[in-house]
Amino acid sequence: MTVEANDELADHVRDALRLVIDPELGYNIVDLGLIYFVVIQDGGIANIVMTTTTKGCPATNYLKEGSRDAAWTVEGIEFVDVSLTYEPPWTPEMMTDDAKQHLGIMRGSGW
Amino acid sequence: MVGASLSKWTMSYFAAALLALIAAEGLMVAGFGFPNAPIRGPETLVLVHLVAIGWLSMLMLGALFQFVPVLVARPLHSNRLPLPSLVLILSGLAALLLGFLQMGGYLALPHSCFPAASALLGAGVSLALWNLGRTLWAARPLPISARFVTVGLASIAVTALLGILFALTLGGVVSHPALLAIASQGVPVHAIVGLGGWLTFTAMGVSYRLLAMFMLAPELDGASTRAAFHFGAVALALVIFGGVGLILLGGHLAFALAAAGTLGLVCVAIYWTDMVHLYRARKRRVIELNSRMAGFALISLGLAATLALAANILGVLPRLAGAVAFLTAFGWLSGLGLAMLYKIVAFITWLECYGPVLGKMPTPRVQDLVVERRALPWFMIYFVAVWSGTVALLIEQATVFRVSAGAMTIATVGLCIQFMHTRRLDHVLTLTSLPESGRPRLLMSAT
Repeated sequence: MTVEANDELADHVRDALRLVIDPELGYNIVDLGLIYFVVIQDGGIANIVMTTTTKGCPATNYLKEGSRDAAWTVEGIEFVDVSLTYEPPWTPEMMTDDAKQHLGIMRGSGW
Repeated sequence: MVGASLSKWTMSYFAAALLALIAAEGLMVAGFGFPNAPIRGPETLVLVHLVAIGWLSMLMLGALFQFVPVLVARPLHSNRLPLPSLVLILSGLAALLLGFLQMGGYLALPHSCFPAASALLGAGVSLALWNLGRTLWAARPLPISARFVTVGLASIAVTALLGILFALTLGGVVSHPALLAIASQGVPVHAIVGLGGWLTFTAMGVSYRLLAMFMLAPELDGASTRAAFHFGAVALALVIFGGVGLILLGGHLAFALAAAGTLGLVCVAIYWTDMVHLYRARKRRVIELNSRMAGFALISLGLAATLALAANILGVLPRLAGAVAFLTAFGWLSGLGLAMLYKIVAFITWLECYGPVLGKMPTPRVQDLVVERRALPWFMIYFVAVWSGTVALLIEQATVFRVSAGAMTIATVGLCIQFMHTRRLDHVLTLTSLPESGRPRLLMSAT
């Protein structure tokens, strides 16, 4: 597959991941900035690197499994690997403006 | 696994705790115990232990089984041990209350219930300590919030040991002079370490983390938080080692209590400033009901500390100790507990019902499981009733106190009904359909 095709597939995966919400913040994990990156390798292998708003969150495993399941629904995805990282730790600065507005956070507001 | 999973028995702990709270409030409405009976009388002892063990300790232990793994980002040592702990502690509490009723002449049984209470409570608390202690031990070095909890757990061990000594003395099992001296003079140590160390210090540690999480505020672990920890820990060490040492040496316990009280007040003042900073630095401008109501609990803590300080300066602390303890137990600890329960019940229920289908179908938010405007009036009634009850105790108006306790009972029942609606998914089902797993069980979580 071409690089462009893989990038397009990665965009589809990102769209699919919007089905997964952070239960506490009530917004999708992509716009909250919890998905650090999505890379598609040849053969439809999706590598997703994500985090949670806080280390030790009881929803961690559900968020990981939910991301895997959502990515798998994308046509052309044959395998999904989701890994969790806390480097760098998540901050509200990583949210999109829409997510910040939804949560009543001022633009440009980090820790 | 990075992180925590669902604690199976936490909902059972919460249910038992709420039943104990309603029972205790009912006793206060009926005029059973302080202020209608002496503060150290058997009736008041029934009331105090129903609140301290039945309500606050069960609430705290249930919450810790769920949230210690969150604080240290490691799973709980054992998900099986909380059930035997629950059964042992509840049986021990029942035996203890029966023992006090025997002492007051309300019951005539052939044997004292105190030895059985000691064995059951000792075993139940030991199991809980083993489970939580192993979880914390495996996670060293501990973050500051978990260090507060560790000192809290050490405090429940000391409180329980002293309680067992008192119970065995009342049961006629203890006869050693040194132990009898501790049993006869150590009640203030038992009460302060229980209320100040186990319940307050643990609540402080958990609130540092949970309030930061819920309000999207930066977690505090700087100099002020460490100072609050050190002042509090030294204050507790002074009460325990200084207090017991002075009793054994025939000195005045009051010296240790005064020194510890001063350090304890500094700890509360720093903690209070930290919490104000947390609220001000939050990124969520519109905060949820649990965080707003936790603010009233923090105000109650500040009022209780101020009242204790003023009463001590005026030399009337012994006379007002009941009012200070009431405001601490019901305004601060119970207020914070009810506020956090409002969130935790929804969060645990969401995890159980919607966590497994995340990514497979659209899911509601945790916030969709509650209707804040229905709970708000009950919280307001509760806090106003606690504050009016405190004033009633200060001005020695027993009837006004009972009316306030009645309002607290109604508010607590109102909140319990809201918790049940949340648990049964009643609110969220107006927005979405029932999850495949169906309604969760009321008293335990499917893990």
